[in-house]
Amino acid sequence: MSVIGEILSNEVLADNYYRVCFHAPEICRIAQPGQFVHVKINALRERLLRRPFSICNVEPETGSLSIVYKRVGAGTDVLASLPPGAHCDLLGPLGKPFSLPSPEETPVLLAGGYGAAATYLLARRSPKAGLLLLGARSKEDLLLIRDYEALGFDVKLATEDGSRGQRGYVTTLLPDLLQDKSKNFRFYACGPHPMLMALGKILLEAQYPDSELSLDHRMCCGVGACFACVVKVKAETPEGWRYARTCTEGPVFRASEVYYE
Amino acid sequence: MSKAANHIDMSVDLGRLKLKNPVMTASGTFGYGFEYAQFFPLEKLGAVVVKGICLKPCHGNPTPRVAEVHGGMLNAIGLQGPGVEKFLHGEEYLPFLRKQRATVIVNIWGRSIEEYAEVASKLDAESEGIHALEINISCPNVKEGGIAFGTDLKLASQVVSEVRRATKLPLITKLSPNVTSVAAFARAVVESGSDMVSLINTITGMAIDIETRRPKIANTTGGLSGPAIKPVALRMVYEVARAVNVPVIGMGGICTGEDAVEFMLAGASGVAVGTAIFSDPLAPLKVLSGLEEYLRRKGYHSAMDIVGKFETGKK
Repeated sequence: MSVIGEILSNEVLADNYYRVCFHAPEICRIAQPGQFVHVKINALRERLLRRPFSICNVEPETGSLSIVYKRVGAGTDVLASLPPGAHCDLLGPLGKPFSLPSPEETPVLLAGGYGAAATYLLARRSPKAGLLLLGARSKEDLLLIRDYEALGFDVKLATEDGSRGQRGYVTTLLPDLLQDKSKNFRFYACGPHPMLMALGKILLEAQYPDSELSLDHRMCCGVGACFACVVKVKAETPEGWRYARTCTEGPVFRASEVYYE
Repeated sequence: MSKAANHIDMSVDLGRLKLKNPVMTASGTFGYGFEYAQFFPLEKLGAVVVKGICLKPCHGNPTPRVAEVHGGMLNAIGLQGPGVEKFLHGEEYLPFLRKQRATVIVNIWGRSIEEYAEVASKLDAESEGIHALEINISCPNVKEGGIAFGTDLKLASQVVSEVRRATKLPLITKLSPNVTSVAAFARAVVESGSDMVSLINTITGMAIDIETRRPKIANTTGGLSGPAIKPVALRMVYEVARAVNVPVIGMGGICTGEDAVEFMLAGASGVAVGTAIFSDPLAPLKVLSGLEEYLRRKGYHSAMDIVGKFETGKK
């Protein structure tokens, strides 16, 4: 659906990262973990396209919907300047959501950078708390740690520069978990594309084909019409793959569905 | 004022194609209609022009496929699509559009002249719910087919003649702006049997990421669309409308009712909204109501009244 969302708050989370809360009760009521909103920043007159953002959290009681973004360009520069009371056009909730873990499963969330925003609502709605393995370039890029800890999640950190947690990619935190077959783990991941491709392969090899990856690609329409945001998934074509739209066939794909080059 | 005096006839006469209003969707920007039916009833549109259909399923180009630029966007999707059989029988395609009672125009393309004709004849054989075909000889983003036919007068004529032989459906030919004289192409396709022409397709362009020194889209070059191209599109519609005696469908950067009015004054009997849909799914309906508002304000009784009414003489 298409709604006008009034900005309730727009605050700095860390360094270049922000969290904006919109009043969007219609979307909050039906939003599921892993879905996204497609935001039109009306102040950007010469830039027509909407920007997709994972839904971080919804509070159906107050109608507040939050997204987390990094200030990286013209779009997010303007978004960061918008005060409470300003409005954006929101399309959503869009996309295929994560499936919730069963009460017997322990969720393990693998997040890269502000990918942690995309798994937060999943953590909230999981029948039981689990682990968050959070990786980022540096300690300034580690977000939402306290939010996850407040939900009872055990948070393990990795940074590429070693400034906090283990030095290296988020994948360095995985081997111990993968060996521990006594726990009934269910894996979910969101982060940069190369990280997700690497994780998908590792999880498949470790016999976790139902792990879910939230992939995204430069998006345009957000509703499946333009075929801009495609990724390769396995298919019975001569090539063994086809392009699937991350906006409607994803953004969440099972590790077993993805075609790895 | 009586109710009757207030009534404005929005229907337009495109020769063999009669539409309830002049506002269509530009091929490639509205999927197959299914994707946007959640926002408004498709039967409200003059016509739904679906994304290009060819003989077999097509993967399209590598990613990234789009880049935003000032006043518009570049795309090189590469005509990813389901192929004609799935379009005819898959539930999200033509069967869905029939149920929605949408007026459907099917955009077609091929890798060879024979493929164009074969797609047309397959659609002709199951044409219930199809109101016209739009021959795409102007996509700049596929190596074979598309623009290769739209920038060579002889090939353009051959494609249209062969498609004409393959179907009785009204034919629209979508012209490329990437030529020296678009009017010459309009004349050629009309002589070869096209009932109408539509223009413009995207203008070839490119953008470079200076940090990586790489092109912003994987195909290096792509098609520019959006308000940035509107003045070019309007000039070409004007030239073509004076060059041929068939209905012209104008498009290129239309975002508002006022934009649509400009195209109609320049000689278009129909208009299509494209890139604006990505910004606002309701853009086609807003264009329609803006157009109606203009007609009412100016005291016109019918949308057809303004077609070609551009004044060039001195005041």
